[in-house]
Amino acid sequence: MENTINFGIDLGTTNSAIAKFIKGEVIIFSNPQDYGRNTLPSVVSYKKDKIIVGNKAKEFLEKDPKSVVGVFKRKMGTAESFKIKSITESKTPIELSAQVLKELKTFVNTGDTLDAVVVTIPASFDTIQSNATKEAGIQAGFKQVVLLQEPIAASLAYANMKKEREMKDGQWLVYDLGGGTFDVALIQIKDGEMKVLDHEGDNFLGGADFDQMVVEKFVIPKICEEYNFTNLEDEMKSASGKFNAKYYVLLRRAEEAKITLSSKTSAEIVVDGFEDEDGNEVDMEITITRSEFNDLIKSNIDGTIEMIKQILTRNSLKPSDLQFNLMVGGSTYIPYVRSRVEEVLQIPVNCEIDPTTAVAVGAAYYAATKPKELEKSAEKKQTSISIKTSYNKASKEKDELFSARVTGKTDGLSYRITRQDGGFDSGLKKLTERISEDLPLVDGAFNFFSFVVYDSQNNIVETDIEPIGINSGFGISGQPIPEDICLEVDDYDNPGKTRLKPIFFKNSILPLRSQAISFPLNKGLIKGNDDDFIYINVLEGSHLALPEANKGIGFMEIRGTQIKRDIAKGSDIEITISISESRDITISVYLNMADQEFKQTFNPKERHTPVEFLKEQVEELSEKLDLEIEEATEKEDFETASALSKLKKEMESVSDETEGLTSDDVTDKRYQLEDKKRKIAQEIDSATKNKRIQQVKAHYFETKDECEKMLDENGNDHERKTFNDIVAQESAFFATNSPLKIQEKSDELHSIISRIRWRTPDFLVGIFKWCRDNQTRMNDQAQAKSLVDAGAFAIESRNWERLAEINSGLLNLLPRGAEKEATTRIGFGL
Amino acid sequence: MQDIKKVSVKVPQAYLDFINQIFEIEKKANNLKEENSIQRNINKMKGIMEEEFFKGSSTIGLTYHNPLGEDYTDTRTDCEATISGTGVENLEIVEVIKPIIYYSYQDSDKVMKVIVQPAVVIVQSKNS
Repeated sequence: MENTINFGIDLGTTNSAIAKFIKGEVIIFSNPQDYGRNTLPSVVSYKKDKIIVGNKAKEFLEKDPKSVVGVFKRKMGTAESFKIKSITESKTPIELSAQVLKELKTFVNTGDTLDAVVVTIPASFDTIQSNATKEAGIQAGFKQVVLLQEPIAASLAYANMKKEREMKDGQWLVYDLGGGTFDVALIQIKDGEMKVLDHEGDNFLGGADFDQMVVEKFVIPKICEEYNFTNLEDEMKSASGKFNAKYYVLLRRAEEAKITLSSKTSAEIVVDGFEDEDGNEVDMEITITRSEFNDLIKSNIDGTIEMIKQILTRNSLKPSDLQFNLMVGGSTYIPYVRSRVEEVLQIPVNCEIDPTTAVAVGAAYYAATKPKELEKSAEKKQTSISIKTSYNKASKEKDELFSARVTGKTDGLSYRITRQDGGFDSGLKKLTERISEDLPLVDGAFNFFSFVVYDSQNNIVETDIEPIGINSGFGISGQPIPEDICLEVDDYDNPGKTRLKPIFFKNSILPLRSQAISFPLNKGLIKGNDDDFIYINVLEGSHLALPEANKGIGFMEIRGTQIKRDIAKGSDIEITISISESRDITISVYLNMADQEFKQTFNPKERHTPVEFLKEQVEELSEKLDLEIEEATEKEDFETASALSKLKKEMESVSDETEGLTSDDVTDKRYQLEDKKRKIAQEIDSATKNKRIQQVKAHYFETKDECEKMLDENGNDHERKTFNDIVAQESAFFATNSPLKIQEKSDELHSIISRIRWRTPDFLVGIFKWCRDNQTRMNDQAQAKSLVDAGAFAIESRNWERLAEINSGLLNLLPRGAEKEATTRIGFGL
Repeated sequence: MQDIKKVSVKVPQAYLDFINQIFEIEKKANNLKEENSIQRNINKMKGIMEEEFFKGSSTIGLTYHNPLGEDYTDTRTDCEATISGTGVENLEIVEVIKPIIYYSYQDSDKVMKVIVQPAVVIVQSKNS
């Protein structure tokens, strides 16, 4: 157990935070329910069955004040309590603060038991208020609560940041302007002792007021100049006003603009989405400059300066008596706040610490110096809670009913369910014997929920519950597809051949819709020319198999006669494939250049097998079979040769029958032949698979050796990691026995090789020389010349990065297709 | 009790800003009365975000969801809401300033998602 307290909490009026000192550094815990934030709004909401603390409670603060309480810190130490309508009870500021402290405990993910803590209080707190804060800590389950004044905490954060634990004797100010409150304190350090000498504050001034001023004093008048509104401000600000929702949109945008103005000299506020009284659509972009914004907030900032002047007068101090003015609170990010305060007071402002977390950080530093004074009898409470859960592990619904049965003593315990992605939080609810909850699901993903039981002080109680996992998509109502659905594309690695691009994988749940997949066309289409075509062939079956071994389930052809204008090679084709629950397949093809869409729906009951296409496929398969037999015989692989020869006879009969088909044949013959063709292809595939696997494996090992050599010579850490990752998967992808899968990995290794090559001077020079020798073939001679000149200079000055750029520029100047003539069976490929 | 692996992801802000712009364009395109094929380009951009941004890693990509018109309750930590109008019961999302952005990744055979930007929304009671 650690001997010092180490945990520090900034229990703020508007926001709170928790930090811990670990081995010389302070870490601030992030809010698990509020992505990317370290702070927790100090707001508590009570509902009949649950308590919510933080951001979600804050959202309801203004509109549901009878059930939600905020800024209760101002009432600490008073006899005042807050009536909560939803639970017909009253809550004291101490109880409310205890809830905030308990919620902060749930931020801690280091596995610590929180029994001692430093909690900060405003400089203005008297003894009763301070004791009330301490009591809140005790109610939240802390056994030891040490208080620390906020401006002292901020100063400690600064001192530790500067690594000056022994600060020079002297005085300074801590200027704390947050989201809703302002405090300023005069701090003195004398003989190593730091104390607050004086303070002032305004409980109703902060960043939120500035956003409001931007909207009311700047944006609304600008809208009214351009558009016709009689009473826009009232219509926006009144809860029952026509544009109340828009008002909040503008507040958000004003806040964004305010943040932008901290780093830029102007910002835009977009106003759109509603109509004026003449029916004109409001759509304007209002620019607000930093100086316009400064004018708006000037009087408020001057008000804070007046308070400082009062402090100085009361303490008979001149500005020069002060070392600096330490800026704390999110609103001190505003440059004008810093410059104005410095300019008027002539005290240097100090903005070196993170103003939003300084108080919590300082509290943690302080906590690291305070020993724990706890009795060692803190044995772990043994609770035996057992939870049996019941829910569907797969669902297509938007939410899924979860129920649980709890055995053991549930008195004083509560539970909370949160979704792992951060999108759902049930709030803290009373634990009872039976629980049921609707859990909302994120579509198309695996949803994990955690179910955590807490005691009355928000310490986690161990239970036997397993994580709740629900797969959204694999519902009982949804049917999985039995095979991969693939698109046939030209195979650029094997000219003249095609390969399969998987669109949907086996077991995906219907209905399915692909993203638009786009390819550059590898041939052009001339308008009106019936000989020009593109095929879109959708097949069912393993994407690792040969295309001809799979079953065609949708086929479209686009011919020159169907298009509105000529389509150039290289222009994009976009293909979208969707399958309905009843298995209708819709192929939608969009030709970018023509802005033309072709759509066709196929019902697999009526297969589309154009005779011409079938004939072509059969012919190719027959040729392929001959080639394979020849190759196997040559290599004296008699086993394969004999297996293939047996297929030969069958192939011949299919070829003959296909040849005999007329293009308008209305019988089922074409489908039967297609099936036969497919079976032969599958058999060829399996008979020759070993050969192909051996080939690709050999190629893989060659590539691997080459890659390793290049990495040794010139590789970087990232490339080495990619290489090691691939090699680590070796046994897995060899085990798939899929030539394509192994080829894919060789390609990945290849891309490492080429990345390294493009940094290697010899290679770059080689490419450059080749390009220079081919200069006369380049499309733009003038540009080619200037690039060649620049390249020569780059070599001379050994600027290899520049040479790489020049090389790609030169390669781009080569006529299209000069490097590799693409195959054009399908019309596009990979 | 088993712990659920918590994945914390830091996506560059520029990506999120970029997606927010695509979302804005989509909103504007939907309001256009004239026939157009802008949605096609938007879908294409979404496809790139989802499939190409992190190609080669175990990450699937970034997707966004526009929760406009959906019900809103205080359990929805995927949205940062401001309540407009009167009443807090039966809330509905009436304006979406920023969409929910998910980061998807593959964890063995499961597709998992993490929210990298909660939506910023305005909600209003259906009763008002």
